[in-house]
Amino acid sequence: MYDSFLVRSDSLENFEENGKVAGFKFSVRIANYRGMFLSLHNGYYCEVDGISYPRSAQRLEVNGKPPRSFEDLMNHAVLEHWDMQDEAFLYVYKDGGLAPGKHRVGILESSLGSYGTMPGMEEIVKNPPDPSEGGSGKTFNVCYYDLELQN
Amino acid sequence: MGIKRGVSLYSYQQEEWFGRMTWRDQLKEVATNLDGATGIEIISEATIPHFPFPGEEFYQEWRFEMERWGLEAVTMDVFPDPLQFRRDHLMNDREQAERLRMELRIAKKMGFKNLRILGTPISVVELALPLAEELDVRINQEIHHPSTIRRPEHPTPFDNGKIMDIAEYIQKTGTKHYGLHPDFGIFKKEPPRVYMDYYFRAAGEKHWAEGSAETIERFRACKTQEDEEALKEWAKQTYPKVFNNPANPFALEELNHAHVPVEDLKLIAPYIYVCHGKFLEMTEIPGMPGEYEDKSIDYEGAIRVLKEIGFEGYIDSEYEGQRNQQDRGLEYMANEIEEVRRHQKMMKRLIGE
Repeated sequence: MYDSFLVRSDSLENFEENGKVAGFKFSVRIANYRGMFLSLHNGYYCEVDGISYPRSAQRLEVNGKPPRSFEDLMNHAVLEHWDMQDEAFLYVYKDGGLAPGKHRVGILESSLGSYGTMPGMEEIVKNPPDPSEGGSGKTFNVCYYDLELQN
Repeated sequence: MGIKRGVSLYSYQQEEWFGRMTWRDQLKEVATNLDGATGIEIISEATIPHFPFPGEEFYQEWRFEMERWGLEAVTMDVFPDPLQFRRDHLMNDREQAERLRMELRIAKKMGFKNLRILGTPISVVELALPLAEELDVRINQEIHHPSTIRRPEHPTPFDNGKIMDIAEYIQKTGTKHYGLHPDFGIFKKEPPRVYMDYYFRAAGEKHWAEGSAETIERFRACKTQEDEEALKEWAKQTYPKVFNNPANPFALEELNHAHVPVEDLKLIAPYIYVCHGKFLEMTEIPGMPGEYEDKSIDYEGAIRVLKEIGFEGYIDSEYEGQRNQQDRGLEYMANEIEEVRRHQKMMKRLIGE
């Protein structure tokens, strides 16, 4: 779902921490029709110019709160909902950020919402899947966007 | 009396996602442009802002708008998300029942008479039933593809005889607050064109439109199970990127005939309270200008049987064809408003209002 629209084309920027460029960020929209409790969000498969960035390098800025790790969301955002109408920002740590110009960004949302208990769910609790395996979001392929760095 | 027409706001999910229509706009569309449709269905967390804590003001506005347009709150669809507490455990029955009770209370405040569940087991519903009875909100199990109605010869996790188990449970206990909710997707006639086109595009097939049309044409020619198996082999050989590709898991599945006869609705007749009028694409019927059909689903059969069994509940339009047309530019996306209008027109014709 929304394969062409999950990332806004003018949203790619570098961000600073402690006066240094610490990484880059871009907007993300939910790839389903209902939204989700944020504890169900398992991060993104995220690649930029062919290099992939693990979930541990990612933070999500959502609901007007400072960027949080997916570990933090899993542990504390059990009753905090990401509404399907709302935009969030994915922060990715990379020393020095991205160079000026165009970049090819690929993402796949890994969310773990469900209609019911399925075989194998106990295993997901113990070992969450790598985001590259996707999840229950309704977009199954990595979606690519050619984005111009805005700053 | 007779069968009543409603709309699931799920049908307008794309308008909602892009911020072009709010729930208020959607209620107005249903009330003013669908020639007598009166029912509303929602997915709780999709429509309710800041779910599950929207604040009292939202509930007041909701009831005001529903009253204003003369609409009836039919069904609220809910999800259990058993991994919500995955930080340390999978939800147990008691916790799933608590989430269901939360949804029952929200439904009551919004005036809904039914909840729709899908993967929630009887053991969980049983725990929530006392509150459902107290609030007079029914919990209905959706019958959704690939589930069938009868007990299957070869059970799978998604088709395991649960529907007949529930029918027996309702019969045994006599409860009026547990029911069934058929989705017309179980009466599939052929692969929907919009799905097939998407699977071809997702696989990177350059001549996707031709490939998709050819596959559907060959599907229509299948007469037996053997023909169907031969078609699948042909599809895997001819279009391996589409039909023999782990990244495109649902394409081959579309080449299965649905095996639910519409007559099976009679087996569960007393327990059907609402239906999902699932549809994928409305096209004009050749030789009948201004009249529409969904070629992929047996609406005539389903509505005929519902009339035979004296069903007088709601069939809610549930448009799902938009999802597979969002991989290209805005100009190629579906018009949800028009699709629902056409679908309602078809239902009106088949119901015989």
